[in-house]
Amino acid sequence: MMTGRVLPFSKPLPLHRLALRASDLPLLALYGLAFALLHWASHPWSGLGFFSLWYPAAGLRFAVLWRRGTRLTPWLILTEVLTDGIVGTIPLTGVAAVQGITGAMRPGLTCGIAIAVARRLSRGKSEALALPPMILGIAAVLAPLLNAAMVLPFAMFLPDAGRYQLGVATIISLIGLTVGDLLGILVLAPALLWLAALIEADVRLPAITPERRRRLAAALLEHTIVLTLSLVLTMLMLRAGVGVRPAPGLLAGAWIGLRHGRVAAWVAILVQVAAFLPFSAVELDDGERLTLHLWITGIVLVTWLAGSFSDAQKAAREVLERRNRLLFQAERLKTLRAMSVAVIHEISQPLSTLAIEARHLRDATAGLDPDIADSAALVDRKAQALSELVRRLRRFGGRDVDEPAALPVMTLLQTARQIVAPELNATLGTLFIAPVPPDLVVQVQEIELTQALVNLLRNAIAASPGRTVSIITRKDGEDVRIAVSNPLDRPEPSGPDTYAGMGVGLVIARTIVEAHGGTLARGDADGSARFVLSLPLVPASPLPADLLPPDLLSGARA
Amino acid sequence: MTMPPLLRVAVLDDDDDLAATVARLLSRNALPASAFSVPHSLLDALPSGDFGCVVSDIQMGEVDGFTFAETLRAADPCVALVFMTAWPTTTHAVDAVRRYGGLDYLEKPIDEARLIAAVREGLDWSGRERRIAAITQSFTRREREVFDLLVRGHSNKEIAERLSISARTVEDHRAAIVTKTRANGLSQLIALSRGEEV
Repeated sequence: MMTGRVLPFSKPLPLHRLALRASDLPLLALYGLAFALLHWASHPWSGLGFFSLWYPAAGLRFAVLWRRGTRLTPWLILTEVLTDGIVGTIPLTGVAAVQGITGAMRPGLTCGIAIAVARRLSRGKSEALALPPMILGIAAVLAPLLNAAMVLPFAMFLPDAGRYQLGVATIISLIGLTVGDLLGILVLAPALLWLAALIEADVRLPAITPERRRRLAAALLEHTIVLTLSLVLTMLMLRAGVGVRPAPGLLAGAWIGLRHGRVAAWVAILVQVAAFLPFSAVELDDGERLTLHLWITGIVLVTWLAGSFSDAQKAAREVLERRNRLLFQAERLKTLRAMSVAVIHEISQPLSTLAIEARHLRDATAGLDPDIADSAALVDRKAQALSELVRRLRRFGGRDVDEPAALPVMTLLQTARQIVAPELNATLGTLFIAPVPPDLVVQVQEIELTQALVNLLRNAIAASPGRTVSIITRKDGEDVRIAVSNPLDRPEPSGPDTYAGMGVGLVIARTIVEAHGGTLARGDADGSARFVLSLPLVPASPLPADLLPPDLLSGARA
Repeated sequence: MTMPPLLRVAVLDDDDDLAATVARLLSRNALPASAFSVPHSLLDALPSGDFGCVVSDIQMGEVDGFTFAETLRAADPCVALVFMTAWPTTTHAVDAVRRYGGLDYLEKPIDEARLIAAVREGLDWSGRERRIAAITQSFTRREREVFDLLVRGHSNKEIAERLSISARTVEDHRAAIVTKTRANGLSQLIALSRGEEV
């Protein structure tokens, strides 16, 4: 499978997937309204250049695209442009309209691309960085960065391209844009996503047990102390004239995130942001505000990534534990199998002696007192029954391990015929094998597949003693079908014993065949029981068509 | 011609009881048998035992049945082999028949009828092999070559061409063969080459 190395959007998108569905309309309407509100709510922090330093609308956009899929990207862009036009944020006429509309389209587009890229890159990987919590974290950071990086390329081809000059002012305004979007996404998106999951019943609030309440209280206390300390430290540093320094906040955020994951990280972010934003909205000039917001962004980023990493680690640990449990289970099954084989062996050895002697005793006492003769006959019957049971259990259980190899179907059938030959002789039955094309080759573990075929043959021989069992092989597309059939006098095999024996053999045969990517199905036809074993063929060597004999060509398909 | 002495069966299993039981079972069915629980004691008894068939376990303490089979074949190529095992595997079944020339591969607990049938077949085969060996061991190398071609239906002239000798020499060898085997014509020679009693 191709994984993250394929660049997203390098292939043409299947356009029908982007089509608007009726069920999207309420969401888009609500989105337009919420977008306008959040956009308006961010205005106290704008002023430097033209971007807000705290832009929650970006968080809403990110949450919707993450939750509902990037296929909504064009429709969100349309909704945003319309909303901006209606509330008058961008002019809808004149040269400025082109500028305004492209500017309004850019954030939605870059956000969709960032999410798609993060998801695509993580596909098929299993390290902690590629686990779901971390992918969200990475996408949340990638989206604002991409948005800022695309401002100049977008503007370059516009009529008044001269508006953007690569200078200090431009760089500052791009930093402001990144900071505003980052803060908006990291503060708002996690809460929105969590609410959406709760509403759509993806996650359930864990039941509040006394144990859980105790742990929650302990965590809350710990976080409060850590956050308070960091705020006090920050204030002290400010009082001491060192200015606003992010070190205590960074430390507190990393601590909380790493200790308790994303939910705790988000609460910490909220607290820190709530402490600073009202302050920065009114009392500061633009330069100071940008500096402060840069610090806050740093803290928020570190806190959020630490929380995501902690959750990803937790998820990875859970996966590992689940695998360990499975491994343990498999190990136990292996031991159990070895034990049962050993037990069968230990029983079969003395039973061999017992069965022969019991039969002898029965024959020798046949003419004696009926009491003795009956006892001897009973012992013999039980010994024979036990022998039959041991034989059957072992016949269907023993399996060797070898490597899969290319094997002609003909060889497989011949080996199986060799193994069942004594049983055929004993029941005076015959085996008919229809001619098999020599080019039919399968990739199998020879011993196991022989076992599967032998089980089918044994069942057939046992069900129709003295009759002809036939194997008919034919090619069907890219598979080979091997049909084992035996004539039936009655529609179903009789007696519980027959059925039990056939069941075990059949189950093992089916397990083996399915492990080889094939199927085993029963398809009775005109008075005979028939089992059809299908296996994928090894693709023929790519010979040019004109080198193949004509009869092969006429039989080949596609 | 005197009847050859009746060939015996050797039963080898590291479980004494089972070896004895199987030997007694065979004896009861007119197949005289002796029980052995250690491979080398059977190999020691081989020259004097006149064994036609060996029924051997595959998993034995010190020597496994297949190693034993190779030693046995080297000592006496005319002994038939029947394997029995408590650990049947498909690999072993195929090996027992293909590589070690076993007549059958029996799972324990043993199917009595199948065992008896296999042992009978083994004794017959061994008898034939022994008769062929007895006849051909008195031949010189050249006589053996002439005999082999003769019983496959080649004429004197064809044999002479194949062996690059004169037709006259072929006739000499042929006379020697008839004298040694006391056979009465080609059809009896063919019967002898198949180990049939004449």
